[in-house]
Amino acid sequence: MKMKHLVLTLWAFVVTTPLLWAFMSSFKTDSEIFDSPWALPSAVRVENWGRAWEQASMGKYLLNTVIIVGGALVLTMLLGALVAYCLARYTFPGNRAIYYTLVAGMLFPVFLALVPLFFVVNQLGMLGTYHGLILVYAAYALPFTVFFLHGFFRSLPSAVAEAAFIDGASHTGVFFRVMLPMARPGMVSVAIFNFVGLWNQYLLPLVLNPDPDGYVLTQGLAALAISQGYKSDWSGLFAGLSIAILPVLVAYLLFQRQIRAGLTAGAVK
Amino acid sequence: MNPTRRVLLAGAAAATLAGCATSGTDNDNASKGNKTPENPLGVPAESALEVVIFKGGYGDDYALKAGSLYKQKFPKAAVDHKGIQRVGEVLQPRFVADSPPDVVDNSGAGRLDLATLVASGKLTDLKELLDAPSYDDPAKKVRDTLMPGVIEEGTFDGKALILNYSSVLWGIWYSKSLFAKNGWTYPKTWADMLALCEQIKGKGIAPWTWQGKYPEYINDPLISMAAKAGGFELVKAIDNLEANAWKSPAMIAAAEAIYQLAVKGYIMPGSEALSHTEAQNAWCKGQAAFIPCGSWLEGEQQAVTPAGFDMVMGTVPALTASDKLPNGAVMAASSESFLVPAKAKNPQGGLEFLRMLFSKQVSKSFVESAKALPVVNGATEGLTLTSGLGSVGEAQKAAGANIFGFRFRTWYAPLSKALDDASGELLTKRINPAQWAERVQKAADDVAKDSSVKKHRR
Amino acid sequence: MRHGKYRFLAGAMALPLLLYGVFVLWPYVQAFYLAFTDWNGLSSGAKFTGTENFTKLFSDPLFLAALRHNGLMLVAVPLGTIAIALFLSAATQRTKVYRVVYFFPQLLSVAIIAVLWQFIYTPNSGLLNGLLRGIGLGSWAKSWLAEPNFALIAVMVVMVWSAVGFYVVLFTAAMESIPGDIMEAALIDGASPARIFWRITVPLIWDSVQVAFVYLGIAALDGFALVQIMTVGPGGPDGSTEVMGLGLWRNAFTYGKFGYACAMGVTIFFLTLSIAALFLKATKRDQVELA
Repeated sequence: MKMKHLVLTLWAFVVTTPLLWAFMSSFKTDSEIFDSPWALPSAVRVENWGRAWEQASMGKYLLNTVIIVGGALVLTMLLGALVAYCLARYTFPGNRAIYYTLVAGMLFPVFLALVPLFFVVNQLGMLGTYHGLILVYAAYALPFTVFFLHGFFRSLPSAVAEAAFIDGASHTGVFFRVMLPMARPGMVSVAIFNFVGLWNQYLLPLVLNPDPDGYVLTQGLAALAISQGYKSDWSGLFAGLSIAILPVLVAYLLFQRQIRAGLTAGAVK
Repeated sequence: MNPTRRVLLAGAAAATLAGCATSGTDNDNASKGNKTPENPLGVPAESALEVVIFKGGYGDDYALKAGSLYKQKFPKAAVDHKGIQRVGEVLQPRFVADSPPDVVDNSGAGRLDLATLVASGKLTDLKELLDAPSYDDPAKKVRDTLMPGVIEEGTFDGKALILNYSSVLWGIWYSKSLFAKNGWTYPKTWADMLALCEQIKGKGIAPWTWQGKYPEYINDPLISMAAKAGGFELVKAIDNLEANAWKSPAMIAAAEAIYQLAVKGYIMPGSEALSHTEAQNAWCKGQAAFIPCGSWLEGEQQAVTPAGFDMVMGTVPALTASDKLPNGAVMAASSESFLVPAKAKNPQGGLEFLRMLFSKQVSKSFVESAKALPVVNGATEGLTLTSGLGSVGEAQKAAGANIFGFRFRTWYAPLSKALDDASGELLTKRINPAQWAERVQKAADDVAKDSSVKKHRR
Repeated sequence: MRHGKYRFLAGAMALPLLLYGVFVLWPYVQAFYLAFTDWNGLSSGAKFTGTENFTKLFSDPLFLAALRHNGLMLVAVPLGTIAIALFLSAATQRTKVYRVVYFFPQLLSVAIIAVLWQFIYTPNSGLLNGLLRGIGLGSWAKSWLAEPNFALIAVMVVMVWSAVGFYVVLFTAAMESIPGDIMEAALIDGASPARIFWRITVPLIWDSVQVAFVYLGIAALDGFALVQIMTVGPGGPDGSTEVMGLGLWRNAFTYGKFGYACAMGVTIFFLTLSIAALFLKATKRDQVELA
């Protein structure tokens, strides 16, 4: 029993140390980071955060990220749920073909598509725009969403839907008023996964979002990580890292119950 | 209102007039305005200008300065300045789509491959700019204000397509104060270097460190020494992919010389895994006495260099007593590759921006903000130089005509990679100099044999 | 009563499928075509070169090294991750706080993870060597990412580290849904905890384990961002951490051999597809039916 807890604590230590260390380093001076990586900061240097927020524009990037990820998330969830529901609950010719084509999207190496994708977006005049990125993000999040929700919708009992149809509900009505509420746990967990995935998306904005003013957080961080290589602002880098990590961490802590609930439901089909 | 008059007025009282001259909307999209003495490149006064600058070790203050000059002269033109890293990833699709910016500083890690840009005909011939009167002195052409060799370096098949802004010298850096304190003098020959390393080691300081994560840094002293021993013929033989050039006695002796650092334990432990920042920081803290680097080091280390450190760059020591090049010979190249894309919307504006960039005013500000030497003659006149920059300037003067540079890095990227990998192995003693030469020669032979690679000669 | 089914289906699926077709499928189709050309990534035209790119691919020593490394990762990363995750999820039952904490790495982008681990592995001021020296194992300290024998292992450790938490959550969720009376019955029969774990728990959550194998297998064929940011070279020392994604990236963006890079991408795609199918088949076993 003791052994078990020792291992559990050890892994918790292994997981949290790098994060806590990054957080701690964000309050240190550059030379403290290098000379005594394990020591606590001699003083809490909040100005590192200020520098990351202002000079490295992390604040602006945060806003861009919230808008793009928020928009894409709503769109993905709506469209993904619709497709998954149709594919899971209706039989029609081509059903399986559509399902596999969609799910195959999870297997493509994304940067194979980058350059052709650029042209598509460019020709549509959506380069570097919020709506352009939202649409592309949603399109690339669709495969996983459909894959996950498909299994979920299949596992739902059909009795309630049958009853609603007998009561004269339309297909749309059944979806929005009966099935979607029943799928809530699955929706929540897939939404969280998508949120985390989209929040951390790097390759797509790298190519489709070339204007530094429109950068999302990951781009800003990469720029910071590269430019600190030239300017040696390590503490600013760690502050930037912390700014990028904290929102997801908070969102996760708020919703972690739902994630587990969703996973339980999703895993046992 | 015709463009000429507007330019004259603008020159007289730039900012105040910007709000007044609003009536004319003609020739908005024309790519060329009228050529006049005030506007020798015929820049359309109202067309927007998009500038993309690599914002790396040198920052982008100097380009912003050129942008503000442009804005002063053409107040109605919107100047869109972007300072970015990873230029290639951002711009590649725009080049393919033929909607590139008007001026690009294609530099830094992740830049676009120059050879590919050239081969695909994506660049504007800069002849018009080079023959235009310079910004400071209308009697002098732009081409006559530049240091020798700069135009040649950007010339491909007889066309000047790229103009590099910063002149880079490679050498070995040390702290003048640390050396003075210990009574050490910078060695003239490699034998002296090894002797000095033994002394330094005795003091408990690691004689060398290097940027092991990016092995290319150690290649510079290595091929510099080989070039000094083997002379210009060797440099040409290497660049022309001649058989057994990498196995020539001078090259092997240079590899052996560098290898000795590892064999004798003169390299700070762990260096092979350090990024450039980490290694350079360790060196700045006095944990190691020497570090190989290009002349950008001082600017890059500005924020973390302790006061009184006084870094200076020494030219790579002579390999033997019978070196073909004199002791002061130094490897040099120019960097920060500026270009005007062939399909730029405002190519004349792009050229005009470069004319301003290569002015005395802007190049002086580059010296001050970037702590580096621009390729514009006389840019350092009247400025007090820092110790590092001063030493680089002196090295340049001392070298005179004995400045050499390798081109294979830009011509044949896969060969560079093979060399980097081999040198990393050499410095960790996993291979010896003979094996090193064998591997690199094979990579060179492979490139020479590959018919899909466009060959260059010098 | 079910009239308008097709109208509903068309209305519901038209937009998402259009979006997917335009932004996902179409670019990939173009990439498949480019794999048979010599496109340099910048020119407006490309010459059709047939299967030349593919024949070159299999005599390219770096690509072959990448295949070996990805192959090794394909075995080691899923096994390591699943073993640790199974153990932790069995041990963590009823202590939820651990599960919450274990999930953290899943929230970070690979770029952040790579930057963090760079500081852990760095030889002189790194966390790992600092720890080893602190507990008297200083002789074990190494330049982790600069030794050909350790660099790839170091990369795989990061992959396992970042993945374990997700699967702990997945497995515990599955374990919680095992009816309690089965466990009680086994306990009453005097089965040891290890026996219960192997004979009852694992078979009952096999579905989840299978999913884990497929996901982790796909992840093991990537590894690009980690290698690109963390390793010497990158991809070194001397190609010892080369992965297929890195080769693709280098050929496309550094060498300007875009057609060749697309051929790599297509190869990776088919490999991924077959691995997924293979894993599903290999891990298939009879469902344990709950009466």
